[in-house]
Amino acid sequence: MDEYLKLQNIRKAYADKVAVDNLSLSVPKGSIYGIIGPNGAGKTTTIRMIMDIIAPDSGEILVDGGKVIGEFKNNIGYLPEERGLYKKMTLEEVIVFFAELKGFPKSQTLDLIDDWLEKMSLSDYKKKKVEELSKGMQQKLQFVTTVIHQPKMVILDELFSGLDPLNIELIKDIILEQKRNGITILFSTHVMEQAEKLCDYICLINKGQKVLDGKLADVKAEFGSNTLQVDMEGDGAFSRDIPGVEDITEFNNCIELKISPEADTQEILRRLTEKVKVRRFEIMEPSLYDIFIKVARIDPQTLTTEEADHV
Amino acid sequence: MSKLWVIIKREYAQVVKKKSFLIGILLTPAFMAVVIILPALLATKKSDTVENIAIIDMDGQGIGERFAEDINTYKLDDSSDAYKVTEILRPDPNDSVEVNRTRQRLDSLILAKELKSYLIIENGIENNDSCFMVAKSFGLTTGRRFDKVISRILSEMRLEKSEINLGTDSVMTLTRRVVFEQLAPGGKERDFLTTYFAGLIFIMIIFATVVTYGQVLMRSVIEEKNSRIVEVMVSSVSPFQLMGGKIIGLGLASLTQVGIWVALGSLVYLFKGDMVIAPAIADTVFNPVFIVFFICYMLLGYLMYSTIFALIGAIVNNEKEAQNFIFPVTMLNILPILMGSYIIQEPESTLVTVLSLIPFLTPTMMILRLNIMGSDTFSFVNPIFFEATIGVILTFLATLAIIWITGRIFRIGILMYGKRPTLPEIFRWIRYK
Repeated sequence: MDEYLKLQNIRKAYADKVAVDNLSLSVPKGSIYGIIGPNGAGKTTTIRMIMDIIAPDSGEILVDGGKVIGEFKNNIGYLPEERGLYKKMTLEEVIVFFAELKGFPKSQTLDLIDDWLEKMSLSDYKKKKVEELSKGMQQKLQFVTTVIHQPKMVILDELFSGLDPLNIELIKDIILEQKRNGITILFSTHVMEQAEKLCDYICLINKGQKVLDGKLADVKAEFGSNTLQVDMEGDGAFSRDIPGVEDITEFNNCIELKISPEADTQEILRRLTEKVKVRRFEIMEPSLYDIFIKVARIDPQTLTTEEADHV
Repeated sequence: MSKLWVIIKREYAQVVKKKSFLIGILLTPAFMAVVIILPALLATKKSDTVENIAIIDMDGQGIGERFAEDINTYKLDDSSDAYKVTEILRPDPNDSVEVNRTRQRLDSLILAKELKSYLIIENGIENNDSCFMVAKSFGLTTGRRFDKVISRILSEMRLEKSEINLGTDSVMTLTRRVVFEQLAPGGKERDFLTTYFAGLIFIMIIFATVVTYGQVLMRSVIEEKNSRIVEVMVSSVSPFQLMGGKIIGLGLASLTQVGIWVALGSLVYLFKGDMVIAPAIADTVFNPVFIVFFICYMLLGYLMYSTIFALIGAIVNNEKEAQNFIFPVTMLNILPILMGSYIIQEPESTLVTVLSLIPFLTPTMMILRLNIMGSDTFSFVNPIFFEATIGVILTFLATLAIIWITGRIFRIGILMYGKRPTLPEIFRWIRYK
């Protein structure tokens, strides 16, 4: 595996607590990698250490085989969790300024700026001051400042917080486009559903420690499938008595069956078709949310679901 | 280096493009001129309307009448009398009820603005020298004139009664006072006010640079901290580059401002010459040694104080919290102005010498001392130059130390939001890896 970013036994402790403890992970080149965990798990601290904003107490961070120092930072675009731009500058000035800070020449920025503003539907505001933009527009502008200098890796901390669903779709598309261009993308979130839709690789962390990591598909396969979803005509209440079924949840025309690991799914299907007409029978993968709660044995309250986050 | 330049450019442009920059350039000298010149102008300005006055004369030798006559040697601009004596009253000095009634009547006239003031000539004024003036407010001019006139009348009266057989005029000639002038070594005319104001102008320039731009810097750090811009910044540049870029960028902006003032001042001097600038000030301004020292102190002062303001900005969360810290820092800059009159009288005293070698005070205090002790005799045997050079060295070393400490605290402080750190925490930051 060709990796772009590698963390080896990173540790960072503050006076009163250990923020990140013995964390190792490797991000493959050109992948979308999600660091997932509840609030306060150490995601932002980890990312700040990757960006060399704070120094780890011990351990090593390698980007493309070297340390993140000086000009190396130019290869990385960084969108922090807490965002801000100079309010009194125009969009154009802000974009040129942040690109110049990454060592990207002004002339090249000016060549690219119109396309990006167009993509974000901000073209009309090019010469306007940042303070005239709505919050959502400012978020999009900040995203432009993160990627316009053509970095090799983009790090996005809590990318979707504060974005409305429409803009989330827009940013997702752009992220996928960046990936196609070979850019490595690392992002953190506490919203499982987003990670599930976007990531190739994940790393679950809790209380500063890694809970598990790997390819998303592998992680899911490892945790197997314990849920069956069945669309049917007729009353499915009897399925509770089928061997291997531990619990059922009934919906209108649909039931969800929780099954034991050793249950024979083919036998269950046969028993169902004896009594009702089955239109769909699906072995569901466990959601990241389920996996996380299972592995980390954490209080579900500390995790946010997508719905709760957008209220 | 190029990233540092990007930050310098932005900070400079942000200040210079603002309207307040232009306004500051024009208003500050105007304000200083008004503060310094206007009170002097107003105080010496002649009153342009006739003042009604009354006299209570309890002496009974005709002093009241003589006063009424003599006071009218003072004229208004249109050559009419400056004072009109409305009445001369002679209550019996032994009847205090009558005296009081008379005074109460005149007091009420003053309150009704029919009378500006009245004069009380006590019984036996010749021996007890007792004379009062009653008025609602006292200007510099009228009181001095009354004093002069009444003293002269008394002198003349005493002379007439004495056995000296001389004409009044010749005695007045005999008792004429000298014209007393104060000179600096080298023979240049020197007086307290010119010295004070010459020094003050330079202190004001340093003060304006240090405190104004220091606070601009502090606010910009707080803004970046509050809006979290700082996090993006330090993912591109080091905190030290960020701090340095800000200090240099704003420093250049303030130099631009001072440069424009100097250019304006020089223009005024060229066109108006000695008319505007007193010779004592001109000597100082155009002395190269003084200019070198002044530039050293201004740059070091700015560097030192703006770093301190950057430190304050990195520690606090908002401007309100910052106020507590700004006050003592500003006081350090004002101290030489408050101590100004003492420094001018005793520029070589141990207290002043020691204070002026404390780096926080050196830039302003040493400038004032140089002004007083050196401006006319710029030679290196003058001990002030040795002390001033020591001052430059000490301030330079102190500034380096402050920059180092601030750099350590700044990199941590700018990422700390929320709670204000305690002093032990700040000390811990200095030692962090």
